[in-house]
Amino acid sequence: MALKDAPIVNMLSFDEKEAYNHDRPISSLVRTQLLHLHTAENLWLPPEDRTNININNLHTEKQASEYIQKVTALLHRHGRRQQQQAATSAKPKKARKAAKPRKKAASAGRKKSSKTRSAAKKRSSRR
Amino acid sequence: MPAGLDALKHIVVLMMENRSFDHMLGGLKKKNSKINGLTGNESNPDVQGNEVKVSPTADYRGQLGHDPDHHFPGVDVQIYGGAPFAADRVPNMRGFIKSYSTQGTNAKESRAIMNYFSPEKIPVLTTLATEYALFNGWFASIPGPTICNRAFAHYGTSFGNVDMNMFLVSDADRAKIPSIYQRMKNGGHSAKLYYFDEPSSTMEIVNLIKEQSFFATFDQFLADCKSGNLPEYCLIEPNYSDHPGPGGGQLLANDQHPDHHVLAGDNFIGQVYNQIRSIPELWHSTALLIVYDEHGGLYDHVVPPSCTPDGFQATDAATNVPGLAFKFDRLGIRVPAILVSPYIPRGTIVPGPEDPANQRIFEHASIPATVTKHFLGNDIGTVREQNAQTFLDLLGDNLRPDNQCVFFGKH
Repeated sequence: MALKDAPIVNMLSFDEKEAYNHDRPISSLVRTQLLHLHTAENLWLPPEDRTNININNLHTEKQASEYIQKVTALLHRHGRRQQQQAATSAKPKKARKAAKPRKKAASAGRKKSSKTRSAAKKRSSRR
Repeated sequence: MPAGLDALKHIVVLMMENRSFDHMLGGLKKKNSKINGLTGNESNPDVQGNEVKVSPTADYRGQLGHDPDHHFPGVDVQIYGGAPFAADRVPNMRGFIKSYSTQGTNAKESRAIMNYFSPEKIPVLTTLATEYALFNGWFASIPGPTICNRAFAHYGTSFGNVDMNMFLVSDADRAKIPSIYQRMKNGGHSAKLYYFDEPSSTMEIVNLIKEQSFFATFDQFLADCKSGNLPEYCLIEPNYSDHPGPGGGQLLANDQHPDHHVLAGDNFIGQVYNQIRSIPELWHSTALLIVYDEHGGLYDHVVPPSCTPDGFQATDAATNVPGLAFKFDRLGIRVPAILVSPYIPRGTIVPGPEDPANQRIFEHASIPATVTKHFLGNDIGTVREQNAQTFLDLLGDNLRPDNQCVFFGKH
């Protein structure tokens, strides 16, 4: 016995072109999603990566979906980058030394701050 | 262990938007009296005080152009008929028209909140409801809107929130109450949240952004099913907006949120079911739960029961109901919920409040509670999860043959 033996119930068709309306005003749900993503942009993305789009000017589902797509992609890219950085900073010290020889002169200050950054990352990855 | 549970490798949850049990499935009572739907005599007063009966005239779109109120104060009106907060007030489910009349509707439009679908108008949902297991008593976790209710499906709590505001789970809370995805990962299992596509995205991105590996699109769900890579647990989010698709196409919202076309959502449910149903190995090893996040302001006749307090409290400033500090001790309004598996006997009805001796009350915390219990086998989880009913006992010993399990075709 296989799928071909299954009783078939038909889904109902409808005029999808007629139903489609990307100019429909956004619902409170999508408005909320815009607000959340806008907040996420400002909280997580560095200023140079933000869209700088004023979400108060987004009124239709098409306008909202374009913004949502942009920010979702940016947040994913940022998240992946952070994961890569976390993975890099988690590499054993010797391997990192071998991979990137340190310059003498300007290193003192940077050395300190890089240590601090690395420690902060370790702390945050532990949380 | 029943054979169905023994064979179970995947739990898939499809969470739709904003429709009540009676609105979608209430009409099934005429076909099966065990289904706690509508007799046709249920009514609510309109703004003039005239009784308006429920009516099987719900349309796919156009009747709910003004979004029905489903925020905490609006749901409070719906449940208590508009009575102001008092310790002794009695819930009566008499404030639906009253609530809808505040949303910019005229007198005639506000009566549409009492409409329900005749079963033949949404064949996928009503077929699955009668072919597999239908829950008479699955309630939203909070008498409130989307975000806090969906949080219960992801975390087993909303961390004290009753509204649509973004809540950022602190690292301390995240450690104490990890999401179900994180719990699965920590336990060496796989879990994913499939959102429809990037223009629709997810309602959870701000809370789960820290873990990219939990996210994928619906296309990836379809591919993962085919390639044998479906995770052990996943939750699917529908498309929340009409927007252009790849190659100049048009993608219809299929979340069924008013006033999106209800048939687009019915067919989407069919697509998810068909994808699992058409792959024998997957079909035999998967339980698919179709559930709605909350009732969306639409009429339901069953009074939401009380529940074990959450441990959190929302102040009356947060609930926006004067005098009512909410202790998370009452569930939200009833929603459609259907469990699908070839190991479930045809026509299973899980009794709810209509059968006090045998009732089983479910809510969205039942989702992480069930997933945790099955895959992780321990009692980690929130207070609400520990008190929630789990649903895998509905899977029995007998595998229904292919000629007893439907497939959805297209006209």
